[in-house]
Amino acid sequence: MSAPIPPTKASPSPAWPAAATAPAPGSALAEAARQPRFDPATPNHKLEFLLVFAVIAVLTAIGLFLPKSYYIQIGLVYLLAINVLSLRVGRWPIFTAGILVALAWDYFFVYPYFDIRVSVGKDYVLILIYFLVALIVGQSTARIRAQAATERLLKQQATALFQFIRLLTEARGLAEVAAVATRQIDELLGAKSTLSFAFEGRHPFELNFLEPSLVEQKELPAATWAFHHREPAGRFTDRFSNCTGHYVPLVREAQAFGVLAVKLPPGKTLSPGQSDLLEAFARQLALIVEREHLRAASEREKILAESEKLHRALLESVSHELRTPLAVIMATCDKFSRYDASAYPDFAAEINTAGQRLTRLVGNLLDQTRLDSGALKPHLDWCDPNDLINAAVKGIANALEDHPLEVIVAADMPLVRADFALVEHILVNLLLNAALHTPPGTPVSITAGLDLPGQRVFFAVADRGPGFPPQAQEQLFRKFVRGQGAPAGGLGLGLSIVRGFSAALGGGVALGENPGGGARITLYLPHKVANNSPPE
Amino acid sequence: MTAHSQARLLIIDDEVQILRLLRHSLEAEGYEVHEARDGLAGLGKMTSLQPDAIILDLSLPDLDGLQVLGRLREWSKVPVLVLSVRDEENDITSALDAGADDYLTKPFREREMLSRVRAILRRGQGAREPAVVRFGDIEVNPAARRVRRAGVEVHLSTKEYAMLLLLVQHRGRVVTHRYIFRALWGPDAKEDTGYLRAYIIRLRQKLEANPSVPQYIRTETGIGYRLVED
Repeated sequence: MSAPIPPTKASPSPAWPAAATAPAPGSALAEAARQPRFDPATPNHKLEFLLVFAVIAVLTAIGLFLPKSYYIQIGLVYLLAINVLSLRVGRWPIFTAGILVALAWDYFFVYPYFDIRVSVGKDYVLILIYFLVALIVGQSTARIRAQAATERLLKQQATALFQFIRLLTEARGLAEVAAVATRQIDELLGAKSTLSFAFEGRHPFELNFLEPSLVEQKELPAATWAFHHREPAGRFTDRFSNCTGHYVPLVREAQAFGVLAVKLPPGKTLSPGQSDLLEAFARQLALIVEREHLRAASEREKILAESEKLHRALLESVSHELRTPLAVIMATCDKFSRYDASAYPDFAAEINTAGQRLTRLVGNLLDQTRLDSGALKPHLDWCDPNDLINAAVKGIANALEDHPLEVIVAADMPLVRADFALVEHILVNLLLNAALHTPPGTPVSITAGLDLPGQRVFFAVADRGPGFPPQAQEQLFRKFVRGQGAPAGGLGLGLSIVRGFSAALGGGVALGENPGGGARITLYLPHKVANNSPPE
Repeated sequence: MTAHSQARLLIIDDEVQILRLLRHSLEAEGYEVHEARDGLAGLGKMTSLQPDAIILDLSLPDLDGLQVLGRLREWSKVPVLVLSVRDEENDITSALDAGADDYLTKPFREREMLSRVRAILRRGQGAREPAVVRFGDIEVNPAARRVRRAGVEVHLSTKEYAMLLLLVQHRGRVVTHRYIFRALWGPDAKEDTGYLRAYIIRLRQKLEANPSVPQYIRTETGIGYRLVED
């Protein structure tokens, strides 16, 4: 990036707050701090006129000491001076220089001397052409210079804008965007700036600047006006021009997304180049805010879509699973009126089984809902592992009737610090799993013990069924996924609940093999030592 | 015990099917059954009917079941059995601490319901305590402070005996953790269920045929313990 034009006059700078704290670690922010100043100076005309007069005066003085026959050379030196001056001064000074030079040459060095009038006809033409040449030389050089300056300015603006956009796209989230943007603006303009994101239609409408100390309370109406009217306001504009801050709204396609507040040091003014740059920045910021909004909306859509999917899966599962035992109950009840009393005990047993299944399903649904809603707060208590196992077994006595059950509790098994209901639910789910996935008649065992080096206690349910397919283990923990060939009888929530509950208790669950064939699922819980000797 | 057959019961519940179910089972046992569909009606009928026991559902349309219980206990000691949905342990414990005698969770088995109704009626009638209480092959003689199992004396520590006595005095009914603590260690004792579990394990080891699968000294999870006789 080419060096900016240094100001031609040093402005007396009153006390201006020191630069802000060092840039945050984010690379975009750090890079923003390394911008060179974008401060195209306004040319100072008075100085230029002075320069022109001085140069012409000096040359004239020198020329007066030379012999009169050198008047052509002097004329050419004047033209050379115009050429050189045009490299330094603006259009009007050089125009004035052209006139002055022609007059001076005519007056001092063309016969008659010290007289503007010219004696010889051809000298009129000479003076005239001289005059024209001086003017044209001056003007074309000035124009070329002006064009070059404009191009330089445009290039600087383009580069600054490009940098701005590049750094902003690297920023993550609106907070970082704001930080990077204000930092860049501060560095480029030697100013202090802050942003407020805002939305129309929000009641009450408020502008909350990220750096509230920069914006005085009484200037908020100016900022608000800028937002609503989509035009800059404040200092350097026609509206609210006696404010200390310059407010630029962030506008995109007639929609406003916020306001950029810029405060320049008291002595400085905002050049047109800088003003254009600010508006370009504001447009970019608006674009980025719009993009962030769209991104957030898209995220919400995705989450909604996911939850819709889960919802559908749940509804399908529930609708199928609940209707089966309900159908059994209804149908069996019908039988009471048609068949004689000797069959009643069988009917009653059917209804009972169906009822138990329904109770279990409802329990599972509730468990899963509690897990999902994050409302699970385990109520820890000292639990007798025998109580836990008995409660679980009692809960599903029916389902286990085709499977001989073996219970082994290690002699050193301590009291377990856990939520009784949660552990009971876990064990029920594990036992049910074993019962449902194994052929009738095969044994199921539940073992409880202490793993002292691992600082944990465990409950392991093992069966002699087909075991777990090695690849699909993680899958089995997902909601509503049933093992291959799993008979109806569960919502597929069992293992998902087991994992959720065990995590809530600070433990975990592991799938494995039962040595000799079959599956084995182990629940681990942290081991805590109870103070078992109370005062007598 | 024939005294029960004429006992008058009041059921306070707003669910029609539960009312029908209970009425059917209780009347078959010989009880006189009355109903109230909400808390205020129930409280009103209390005074007019003077029932021997009340079955109170904790979720009522107007007043909270606990509120009804509270008001009731201000002026009556009538035995109360509360009905609640499963997993509402906090509500049940609160109800028991507020003066209910026992609880039943829905869905419940008829046998259990009848057994608990019998147990609370027994307490209410202030029947004379027998000299020796028997369950299974266990014999407890409170006067002599003696416990026998299959005829052989069982040695219990002071606290173990106190706990057993508590369960025996409330046999058939639930005894909450807090009640046990208050009774054994006084009102200011720090309640650590670990202690209770330890004592109960020892009692089971000394008295139960299979301490791991106890027949008589049952755990009411999250609430307390119950001595089951039948």
